[in-house]
Amino acid sequence: MAVPVQNLRWPALADALPSGPVGDAIAPVVGIRALVVASDERRRMWQLELCNEDGKTVARVELDEPASVSSVAASPAQLTVRTLRGYDEQARRACSLLVGLGLRAAERGGERESRSASKSSGTDRAVPARVLLTAGLRDSLAAMRENLPGLLDDVDTEFLHDFRVAVRRTRATLKLGRPALPDAMRSRWEPAFKRLGDLTTPVRDLDVYVLDLPTMSHWLVTADPRDLDPLAAHLRALRAAARRPLVASLRSARFGQLVADWEQELNRLAGLPQDGGHVSAGEWADASILRAYRRVVRGGAAIRADSPAVDLHELRKRCKELRYALEVCSPVVARGPRKRAVADLKELQDVLGRLQDCDVQRHALRGFAEEMMTEGTSAAAVLAMGELIGHLDVDQVRARREFDGAFACFAGPSSQRLMHKFGGGR
Amino acid sequence: MKVMATYNIKGGVGKTSTAVNLAYLSARGGRRTLLWDLDPQAAATYMFRVRPRVKGGGRALVTGRRPIEAALKATDFDNLDLLPADFSYRNMDLEFDDAKKPTRRLGQLLASVADEYDMVFLDCPPSISLVSENVLHASDTLLVPLIPATLSLRTFDQLTRFVADSKGSRPEVVAFFSMADRRKRLHRDVIDGIARDRTRVANTVIPALSIIEQMAERRAPVPAFAPTSRAAQCYEQLWAEVCPR
Repeated sequence: MAVPVQNLRWPALADALPSGPVGDAIAPVVGIRALVVASDERRRMWQLELCNEDGKTVARVELDEPASVSSVAASPAQLTVRTLRGYDEQARRACSLLVGLGLRAAERGGERESRSASKSSGTDRAVPARVLLTAGLRDSLAAMRENLPGLLDDVDTEFLHDFRVAVRRTRATLKLGRPALPDAMRSRWEPAFKRLGDLTTPVRDLDVYVLDLPTMSHWLVTADPRDLDPLAAHLRALRAAARRPLVASLRSARFGQLVADWEQELNRLAGLPQDGGHVSAGEWADASILRAYRRVVRGGAAIRADSPAVDLHELRKRCKELRYALEVCSPVVARGPRKRAVADLKELQDVLGRLQDCDVQRHALRGFAEEMMTEGTSAAAVLAMGELIGHLDVDQVRARREFDGAFACFAGPSSQRLMHKFGGGR
Repeated sequence: MKVMATYNIKGGVGKTSTAVNLAYLSARGGRRTLLWDLDPQAAATYMFRVRPRVKGGGRALVTGRRPIEAALKATDFDNLDLLPADFSYRNMDLEFDDAKKPTRRLGQLLASVADEYDMVFLDCPPSISLVSENVLHASDTLLVPLIPATLSLRTFDQLTRFVADSKGSRPEVVAFFSMADRRKRLHRDVIDGIARDRTRVANTVIPALSIIEQMAERRAPVPAFAPTSRAAQCYEQLWAEVCPR
């Protein structure tokens, strides 16, 4: 389907597309991601109709081919047979005829799935844990590199988010892998990645507020959503200011050197001989998951009705460590139990996430209100923000009530049995 | 999903032409549209170049032995599917009579495709029968083409009484004049004199035009093969008047 997109500068969010069926179909799929130009091709489409003796169209054949012979990199021409409802047999015959003419049937879907499936099911449990850890760290480095250009160009908020996930995964892998990795990893690289993570936090926090603002505006009961416009402007200004040092750091020679050194370190790690006497990937994975699980259970059991928010935040971090342990160890643990464990954990993480978000956002909104008042913002804006704080208050109490149930469910016997299943074979 | 039936006790009044053209216009406007040709004469099926055959016949559909999804056929037009006629539909009364709720079965069958379509047209055979009762219960709107003649109005009165006397939910009855010839004084008198207070009568009048008769020859809706013709414009006006909002 063609859509006129003149005068549109890419990358752009889906709402920049002209309204119509293409925009309607794309918007829910891309969500908050920007559309970027992956390739630029000029194609020519031909549609042929296959008719029966009554002149009724029984199948459509579409020819999609490069528009000019100079498009050497363009994907090759392809014929698609479109089946019309009630005329499946005719479409099948058309396909057979085309294949009989020597055309090669293209593979459908599947390929990508099988590739990702093979990725998650390949490592031998007997290999040294270092091999598994190095592979995981390399994947995270690749993800950081992949997301860096979009982050620097501020294409959309998710490049920074995905960059941060890769950094956090690296930190969790280093921490979990301490028993199997050289000491230098702990002394040099753990602090280095903590600094990198911290560097990205202020912009991400502001991104979350900006992204949540449309949802928050629905919470307003007495205020008008437009009363939040000054808050949106304030957040944009703060974000622009916070991005400057982040971008400067990530463009610096120092950061470039850090990445180069890290890659070299991983190459060196990968090149170490796989001699005996090292803990195996399977043993390490089982022990790491169980240890991380026990830390969550211990931390959760210590939570009381009057526990401060910081304790719940600490528990949330332990949950994230368990989540990363399950992800990093995925190539050497049984798929079924791992997926169930992630699902169980997700419920607890969701409750803890809401608890922390409510707590942090309440304080942050108060801080923003004070800053805005010194800049002479309107009373309506401050009152609207007060309503948001009230809503967050109520939601936090609700989430706190839900926590006990979510934790009891997670720490229950079925979850315990599940965690002990790891190592029980693939 | 809205259901609109083109119905009249009399035959040859323009039911099929109306169903075919309005279904086409509905689909052209972006509504996912189904036309069910209930008339065993299969004129609507013929106009869409589809073969008038349903595996297992009407009985298989009514008994549920064959889901109606399996009998659907795409037409040559986007968004427009057809449930073809079958000669066995002549016995559809008997099939409905054997069903559990004989007057509700058609509505139950349509409910199974409610997620797939925004608009369903029923092109009905000319009669008053159990099929007609099913159509009444299944439809939101009964679109009644009237030839502007005294006997037509008499039949229309019979029809409105039939609808009024039927139990349960009743469709809105919308009449419109079809095959009208303004050169005939009688046609002009009937069109101007119809009592518009008792029932809804559309303002659009479909004239008797040879291009409408050509539909059977061209085997396509008028707006598809003669989009700028007066007939196409009249059907567009009629659709604008009666289409559900």
